[in-house]
Amino acid sequence: MNFDFGRVALVLVLAVVPIIGIALGMRAPALRSRIPILIGIFAGLIPIFSLYIPKQFLSGPTGMSPRLDQWLIILAGFALLLGIVNVVQNNSRKISRREKGWFFAAVLLIGLLVTSAFGIWGWWTKMGIGFMPDGSPTPFKWVEDRFFQPLQSTIFSLLAFFMASAAFRAFRARNTEATILLIAAGLVMAGRVPLLEFLAAPFPPLHPSASAASQFLGGLAERIMDIPNGAAQSGIIIGAALGAASMAIRVILGIERGYLGLGQGE
Amino acid sequence: MKRIFTWLLKLDRRWIFLFVLFSVATPIVFPIGLPVTTTDSTRRAFEYLESLKPGDTIWLSFDYGPSSAPENDPMAEAVMRQCFLKHVKVVVLALYPLGGLGLANTAVAKVTAEFPGLRYGEDYVNLGYKDGAAAVMRRLGEDIAGAFPTDVNGTPLSRIPMMRGVHDIRNVKLVFTAATGVIGEWWITQVHSQIGTPVVIGPTAVSAPKYYAYLNAGQLVGMLSGMKGAAEYERLLRDTYPQMARFYKSTRTFTATKGMDGQTVIHTVMIAFIILGNLAFLVTRETGRPEAAA
Amino acid sequence: MIQDALGIWIAALLTLAALSFLYKDNPFFRFAESLFAGVSLGYYVGIVLNQTLEPNLFEPMRQDFGQNWDLLVPGLLGVMLYVRYVPKIAWVSRYALSIYVTYYIGVEFTRRIHGEVLPQIGRAMLPLSRFDLPTLYSAVFVVGVFSVLIYFFFSREQNAVTRPIARLGVWFLMISFGAAFGFTVMGRVALLIGRLNFLLQAWLYPLFGITS
Repeated sequence: MNFDFGRVALVLVLAVVPIIGIALGMRAPALRSRIPILIGIFAGLIPIFSLYIPKQFLSGPTGMSPRLDQWLIILAGFALLLGIVNVVQNNSRKISRREKGWFFAAVLLIGLLVTSAFGIWGWWTKMGIGFMPDGSPTPFKWVEDRFFQPLQSTIFSLLAFFMASAAFRAFRARNTEATILLIAAGLVMAGRVPLLEFLAAPFPPLHPSASAASQFLGGLAERIMDIPNGAAQSGIIIGAALGAASMAIRVILGIERGYLGLGQGE
Repeated sequence: MKRIFTWLLKLDRRWIFLFVLFSVATPIVFPIGLPVTTTDSTRRAFEYLESLKPGDTIWLSFDYGPSSAPENDPMAEAVMRQCFLKHVKVVVLALYPLGGLGLANTAVAKVTAEFPGLRYGEDYVNLGYKDGAAAVMRRLGEDIAGAFPTDVNGTPLSRIPMMRGVHDIRNVKLVFTAATGVIGEWWITQVHSQIGTPVVIGPTAVSAPKYYAYLNAGQLVGMLSGMKGAAEYERLLRDTYPQMARFYKSTRTFTATKGMDGQTVIHTVMIAFIILGNLAFLVTRETGRPEAAA
Repeated sequence: MIQDALGIWIAALLTLAALSFLYKDNPFFRFAESLFAGVSLGYYVGIVLNQTLEPNLFEPMRQDFGQNWDLLVPGLLGVMLYVRYVPKIAWVSRYALSIYVTYYIGVEFTRRIHGEVLPQIGRAMLPLSRFDLPTLYSAVFVVGVFSVLIYFFFSREQNAVTRPIARLGVWFLMISFGAAFGFTVMGRVALLIGRLNFLLQAWLYPLFGITS
């Protein structure tokens, strides 16, 4: 058995301590929130310290940080499926009580169960979820190509229609700021596509001028994206990043506990 | 005139939807063939890949799903074609949970079928999907096998010839991420900033404006913005490798270049809508008539 | 192949069902929406099991338990996450949740500082060794970044000095949002183009024997 430092240290801090914490928490409810926060401090500081402290025990190949990265890949997989339990509970309740819309709840559950079953079949038979050895799609891939992809694409594409409706019915140059926004939008939209060439298409004598004007508009659009847009985005990125970094420190140090379902005083 | 504008403002929005549908469908049925001009950010990406040598390895990450496939699929396919033409090895992976793997599998199957001499495991490999993108990227800086012990089919990396020379992401010449959402951004702000691997991003048009800040700061080699960026890349590929034109001429296969016809029409429509809507607003406001609700 | 033709019909009909929402909310759209939600969640099960749990957890422990015994811990922590659905012992899931959240937040912290703050501030530092067009553009850029940051500083009330600078920042933001709208139009329409291309080229044209 491999007992390198990284593994052993992580198991002690992130497995043995929680076990002790759970045992203590059974008797002392006050410790049910304190020990998880303490463990969270370790888990949160390891990736930060590993960047600044080039020591073997932390960031070396057998250190704590690389091993923790591997652990959290696995944990992320479990976390991704967490919401499914909630969805199954809610929809099952809807069906059993014959609430309004129970038929659609049944459709949801059937879709979930069938797709999951195909995924589990792929895992169990080692056929996977891509293509079979003969090049044909596995059942999971077939459902993905014929149900999942068309539905996701189409539902998102509905936004194009609503944007067009909003452009006509709601976008108004009511003040200076709105006017600037609309002018920028118009210039960028016109510059990103060969709009003038399209409009001049039925008039051959205008083609060279349309092409030159289109090039100019394209250059202008790129300049708008580079400078004023780039500046604004840079400012937003700096501000948001500083805010996120300070929030990160607060969460790691246990000052913010909302993610555990706890209030400030708990 | 005022009556016309008032009538327009009260028009049921479903007529607007129908007009949009016809505007987009018409160039698909009757292709126009409008020209595609290239921008600096796309040219830089193309030229960087052109500068790579046979045997170099790039990382092609499918960080998008069906919600942006018409924009990102053409980018990924064009980059793969360029790499295979130049005998650059391609490591394919997906970090986007909602559909990235399926699109990666489909794109790899489609493009590799166009190059019969390619050998899996020697010229390209598909590592599949992995959860926890941020943790994966951290681990890639140490050793790839720690994050991806096997390829998409379950073959250990130690048994894949081209992966023997690629221990971690520092051995890779470029990461190309076709992305929607934050995962593409993480390649720039985590992998490039902490490890130094060059990154080219192909974001969807919705998130592209943000990436100009990274482009300006030198954190990106180049960028392909949305369907326009993909069409630009296809144009550069066709101009440099004329034999590639055959993949972009068929009217059945969807390409970004063909999609730009529809984009041009709808942009014209949108600008017309904005101008018309504001004109109607001005005219009806002058007469004191209430404006229709959106 | 039959399953190919059947698959195309299924995809086409589901596409039309989703598009029917544009007319009005109707049972076909709700059917498609519910099916989408269910299939998406089932999709997660398939990819997590096949692409993460099997190669990163089950297979390493099967192949060489001695080297990978510690992977039991993330496996158990992962199961512990689901204990939150058992009301009496839901508090136990806090251990797994705190490790998961704080780790990714720690990674986020380093990413934000090294990948966002420092490079962006570096870009906003303007060398004035030359006075040419690129320097002018950079000056406009720096003014833009500075004014936007002033606008976003909400900790103190703005005064006669900062208010006009913040207003300038708002104008930069409006240009950015206008540009973003232009790009968003392109992004959303691209999806529509993709779907209509599928309906026409992959479904209707073969149905009517049209070759293009």
